[in-house]
Amino acid sequence: MITEKMEEYLEALFKLSCEEGPLTPTRLAEHLGVTPPTVLDMLRRLEAEGYVRYADTAMGQARGRGGKGVEKGHGKGETGAASRGQGRARREIFLTPKGQRAARTLVRRHRLSERFLTDVLGLDWESAHREACRMEHVLSPEVEEKLAEMLGNPETCPHGYPIPDQNGHIREEEIKPLCDFCVDEKGRIARVEEEEPQLLQYLASLGLLPETDIEVKDIAPFGGPLLVKVGDTQYALGREVASKIWTRKGPAKARRGIGWKGEKRAR
Amino acid sequence: MKEKPLQQLERIRERVEYVFALAGNPNVGKSTIFNRITGMGVMTANYPGMTVEFNLAVTEMDGRRIGIVDLPGTYALGAVSEDQLVARRGVLQGRPDVVIVILDANNLARNLYLLLQFLDLRCPVVAALNLVDQAERSGTHTDVELLSEFLGVPVVPTVGIRGDGLDELMHQALALAERREEYPIIPFSYATDIESRIRRLARRIERKMGDLPYGLSPRALAILLLEEDEEFLAALREQETGAEIVAYAGSMAREIEREHGEKAALILARERHGIAGSIAASVQERKEREKARWGERLWGYTTSFKSGLPIAVAVMGLVFLALFWGGGELASLFSRFWENVVGGPAQRWLESVLGAGTWTRSLVWAVDGLGAVLEIALPYLLVFYVILGVLEDSGYLNSIAFLSDRVMHRLGLHGRAVIPLISAMGCNVPAVMGTRVLSTRRERIIANTLIVLVPCSARVAVIMGGVSRYAGVLPALALFALLFAVVLGAGLFLNKVMPGESTGLVMEMFPFRRPSLLNVLKKAWMRLKDFVYIAAPLIVAGSFLLGLLYESGWIVKLTTPIKPLAEWWLGIPAVALLALAFAFLRKELALALLVVLAAQAIPGIAESSSLLDFMTRGQIFVFALVCSVYIPCVATFAVLWKELGGRATLAVTGSTVLLALLLGGLAHLVLALF
Repeated sequence: MITEKMEEYLEALFKLSCEEGPLTPTRLAEHLGVTPPTVLDMLRRLEAEGYVRYADTAMGQARGRGGKGVEKGHGKGETGAASRGQGRARREIFLTPKGQRAARTLVRRHRLSERFLTDVLGLDWESAHREACRMEHVLSPEVEEKLAEMLGNPETCPHGYPIPDQNGHIREEEIKPLCDFCVDEKGRIARVEEEEPQLLQYLASLGLLPETDIEVKDIAPFGGPLLVKVGDTQYALGREVASKIWTRKGPAKARRGIGWKGEKRAR
Repeated sequence: MKEKPLQQLERIRERVEYVFALAGNPNVGKSTIFNRITGMGVMTANYPGMTVEFNLAVTEMDGRRIGIVDLPGTYALGAVSEDQLVARRGVLQGRPDVVIVILDANNLARNLYLLLQFLDLRCPVVAALNLVDQAERSGTHTDVELLSEFLGVPVVPTVGIRGDGLDELMHQALALAERREEYPIIPFSYATDIESRIRRLARRIERKMGDLPYGLSPRALAILLLEEDEEFLAALREQETGAEIVAYAGSMAREIEREHGEKAALILARERHGIAGSIAASVQERKEREKARWGERLWGYTTSFKSGLPIAVAVMGLVFLALFWGGGELASLFSRFWENVVGGPAQRWLESVLGAGTWTRSLVWAVDGLGAVLEIALPYLLVFYVILGVLEDSGYLNSIAFLSDRVMHRLGLHGRAVIPLISAMGCNVPAVMGTRVLSTRRERIIANTLIVLVPCSARVAVIMGGVSRYAGVLPALALFALLFAVVLGAGLFLNKVMPGESTGLVMEMFPFRRPSLLNVLKKAWMRLKDFVYIAAPLIVAGSFLLGLLYESGWIVKLTTPIKPLAEWWLGIPAVALLALAFAFLRKELALALLVVLAAQAIPGIAESSSLLDFMTRGQIFVFALVCSVYIPCVATFAVLWKELGGRATLAVTGSTVLLALLLGGLAHLVLALF
């Protein structure tokens, strides 16, 4: 049985997973304004219910063994070895498909409620957010449907975040080939088609790996190549190469700042 | 074919105390540093893939002889592309005492990837942090000492183009080579689960196998096997114990793939990028600049389609203008100098000393040949090389590659191939070697056929010195346009006819750099040197030989069989066709010989208009056309043979000869209408 508290966690996890960086208990605790032990406790419960995956043993050991690396380094390499351990000593939280579904439903109800509260009742954004935090837990699927219908199936909440559809599908999360991107659009590589392992490896050595942020700077017309930026480097990618790089649309930068801060303050 | 430089390296090794290898990403200034260190002439340019084979040189440092290997620029040491393979072979088989990894301070994170791979291979590494001046200017500051500490290798900041820091770099490398045993090489450890597998595999390799290929460390081999490196998998499968190791490594790689949902090779690449990125982030500080630098802004204009295309057209226009005007001015200057100071007096002197016999007259031909070098070939070559140098060093060719990708696609190539095609305008030989960056044989065959058809500087000199000088600017432009159409047509045709598809473009784009005048001039001189030392003597000797044939009357016998082809089909004098045949040695020869022929055939006239008394404008046009289209010179032929093999080379050569004769004949027919 899922409690309101658990729902809060799922929602927070979902939102954090849309941001950059690994999903750690520390970040979650910060986001919710609670102590890490509380978070760990809740994570265990969520895991028991199959909403999240956290006890990744292989990754978990990294911290312990990474420390040993320091002893190995001596002389000039010492500092280097020490820093090597830190980089990957992290345990990440993942939402399971079940958790994703639950979280998306909540996000949908929250954002629909916000729309309703601001558009229909005329509340200010701040209050609408506070109220919506309570409403999201009590809406039944039926009310949710009617609400969406009445509002004309809006695509975004008042803050500009996308509202998932009934199936929990979020438009912005769509994965499309890089060649379908527009100029100045940012995204994150989801995968590279695997029919060509050579291409995949070559791109990997250049740093064009899945989960890498990529920005389209310019597109030559008439099926010409794309100019993309990855890290500090610009690459020209032919259309046919770009069509094999499936990319997730990144959340637009401007929107992120305000929205998250507002929600944090509300807690 | 790949053994040759390696054998050379072995020979060099016997004469030197240490061998250093220069490695780095493309376009980080490796060749510039190589030139600075060795004082040798290696072509550099602001685009990737200039050094495909490696360059070798011997230099002296503190009284010690050191062999230097310039490896091709590469992003990684995998087995997925030719440049990577050549670099890897250079390191594994060449076994340098020290690898000097040159890093671009502007893009440290990506550049460190390669350095990490060298550490994985347990190569003693010294890092040069190059282009620091540029990085500082754009607001990126690097803590060199901290970087050195993190990496556990000496790091020296350098500015290759000015030579800053290179002495220190060489000293550090020498110190490392001398006390190699004292320096531990500590590869970075990967994520624990990966690292533990690497170590397990390494232990098993150590236990089961004796000598490892290339004297690799067990850990290095373990990583290569987990990456499913084809070269090493194949090498190990041949041994009994090796096959077992391969199977073991395979099961490990599958385990990793299962756990991470990605191939082990990708995981390792990701790890390396991660390590490189976090090191770069912690040693570099950067200030965001409000305004983009002039280079970046200009660059934006040249790659965007709307402004890029007009700019490209304007640049082409400027190039031609400089060639027509600058080359023409220089040519008449040289010509006056020659007539008054050397040519005329020399001829009189020869006649007064030796009397007027067949031999003397042949010698006069040789003197005229030297004059032709100076008057016709040299001025245009000089101007052309300076322009090419500026285009290369500024990085503008990158923008051209980007803009032309679509068109090149139609020709069965991609944008990157445009760079060898443009450098083919300098000389076909390095351009042919440059096609090695292309990944499929189909692409290489198409690219090489097109390269051979692209008029190289020698042919440009023939067109400029012949057609433009005697027949006028418009015919010369028409000829260039015709040649351009021939290249396009050949590409379209080959793309249709040859089975297979073209692959895609993946190319790093570099921002503009201000070209250094000194560098451009140096490069022009290096290219010109080749002409002065090789072509000029050939032309003089060829002129003498032709003179001998002519003066002794043998020429009639030689030209009789080719008369119908020359006079009936091409409409040019048979001796002119003979000159064309000679031009197989060097393309400049064709025009030089023709001018000499004209000067001698019409006695009494030695001014610049003499060629027009010998041939009509139309004939000169046909002559230059045939000269430009038929087989490249013997040097190109040889390098083609090496790259493509005999059959393809003969096919390319044969078809260009036929095409040249066909086009020449058609041009004759069309011109006859006027």
